[in-house]
Amino acid sequence: MQKPVLVVGAGPAGLAAAAGVVASGAQAVLVEKAAKLGGTPILSGYAKLVPSGEWARDAMGRMVKRVEDSKNVTIHKETKVTKLTGEAGNFTATLSNGTTVECGSVILATGFTHFDSINKPEWGFGTFEDVVTTTQVEQMVAAGKVACPSDGRVPERVAILLCVGSRDRQIGREWCSKICCTVSTNLAMEIKELSPTTDVFIYYMDIRTFGLYEDRFYWKSQEEFKTKFVKARIAEVTRAPDGRLLVKGEDTLVKRPIVIPMDLVVHAVGMDPNEDNPEIARVFGIGLEKHGFIDRAEHYTNTCGTTRRGIYAVGAALAPETIDDSISQGTAAAMRAVADLNALVQKSA
Amino acid sequence: MAIHEKTLIDADRIQTSDNLVLDGVDVSGHWNTMVLPRYLTNYDTDFARQIRTFAGGENVHRCWQCGSCTNSCTVYAQNTDFNPRYWIYLTNLGLKADILKDKDIIWTCVSCNRCTNICPKDVKPEGVMKALAHWLEEEGHTPESRSSIFDNEFLGQVYETGRIEDTRVLINFLRKTNQSLTPPWLIELGKRMTKHLPLTFLTHMGLHLVFKPRTKSWGRTGEVLREYVREQKEIARKERAMPKEAVHV
Repeated sequence: MQKPVLVVGAGPAGLAAAAGVVASGAQAVLVEKAAKLGGTPILSGYAKLVPSGEWARDAMGRMVKRVEDSKNVTIHKETKVTKLTGEAGNFTATLSNGTTVECGSVILATGFTHFDSINKPEWGFGTFEDVVTTTQVEQMVAAGKVACPSDGRVPERVAILLCVGSRDRQIGREWCSKICCTVSTNLAMEIKELSPTTDVFIYYMDIRTFGLYEDRFYWKSQEEFKTKFVKARIAEVTRAPDGRLLVKGEDTLVKRPIVIPMDLVVHAVGMDPNEDNPEIARVFGIGLEKHGFIDRAEHYTNTCGTTRRGIYAVGAALAPETIDDSISQGTAAAMRAVADLNALVQKSA
Repeated sequence: MAIHEKTLIDADRIQTSDNLVLDGVDVSGHWNTMVLPRYLTNYDTDFARQIRTFAGGENVHRCWQCGSCTNSCTVYAQNTDFNPRYWIYLTNLGLKADILKDKDIIWTCVSCNRCTNICPKDVKPEGVMKALAHWLEEEGHTPESRSSIFDNEFLGQVYETGRIEDTRVLINFLRKTNQSLTPPWLIELGKRMTKHLPLTFLTHMGLHLVFKPRTKSWGRTGEVLREYVREQKEIARKERAMPKEAVHV
């Protein structure tokens, strides 16, 4: 009997990989450390996804159902891979629940960890209740009300600070997290939909709404929803005597320091390497690149490859990535993984 | 192309008291010179909306500050204080005080529309200059402009008679703007007209100046028009003054 493909992580990339493997006629074993499938969009309670605008629970729900309904996918929840031996075509994985899995190849769809804003204390997260992250605002939008956590009032003004935990040498994050600009312009629109009188200000260094996100998110947010874009990297968030927050910085377009009152300050948090990556690297015997993401092989002829033959990586495990592209990569890696199994069959024949 | 660099210290933020004694020490004159802080402490979040209600200002919020308008600007080439990109930013953030500092040059836009043609976001900066000039005038920050005086004279004659009389428009405009009724260019124009224009035409012009011809069956049309224009202006003014809650998005 043909060996299965081991897929680690059941987020958008992993679910796509598992579905791709079974669609190609092979078996998949899906291992997820959380109790629920769906990955970060579900576990962090995202609202509507970019760019489809579909609710995360619906979109991810469909992906989860497709995999759960497949008799060719074996799912292990609340489980980690603790040991991997063998080589491409003949791996043996030991799971934390005691199971042993013989597999031909491995797809790592282990995702990312949200930047923890506590590491930028000057921006007030953890000090002031009304400083929150984009993830928290996603949850507010999903719940249908945007409010200041301190007293429940609907904010008159919201400041979204871009590049929190991205593009910052001070904290060793020298990468762009790719999607926060688009997510923030989208959140600004969602805030406006829930509270039309709220003014949303986005404090930016650059706006990187690449590709078709440009007019569908950035322009739309600015032109139809009147989101204000202010070119300033905020230096500090403090509190005024009246309890409102003050964002301090330099507006580089008017060349003046600013101290502006706000009701809610939102950190557009970036994507860190998965905090488990050192463990993942050790267990699977693969390398990490200098930022801590999984190191990828040359991409041109070894697509989705890592530093070890037979082990593939996809999505935000490799670098900050969009949900849509993570799904595409998951599907691509399924093809590589199944090709490995076929080569094995040919070899033994 | 000059680099537009703003001076960090505006003259109006330097404060010196001629006579000042602090704790018994005479610190009159430059001893007590202080520079007021440059901090921006708030935005007028409704200002951009108000400017959008003036003709030409409709797209001001689309600006992403690329600077194409300023770089292509005919007036900027002559005067680097004329910076449409900057005023559009000030408008969008509602930094009115800073716009007022430039109130005496915003109207100098010559409407060449190079900015309109180059703007990648279709902001129509030339229109924004007009909208800002009209706002400045309506709020009384600048005196009634010559172009407004001309427009009013022109329209006034249309309301009255259904047509304009060139000579009368010109004379009344010169009079209302305290200009000489016989500027050299006008005298030259008159001379050439007498030389080249047919006698009947000149006679008509002269007669019209005295008898004020009316458009046939003009009747009450002028009154109705005047009332309509007044109503529209009133509506626009009310819209500008509306509380934010009533006009969101």
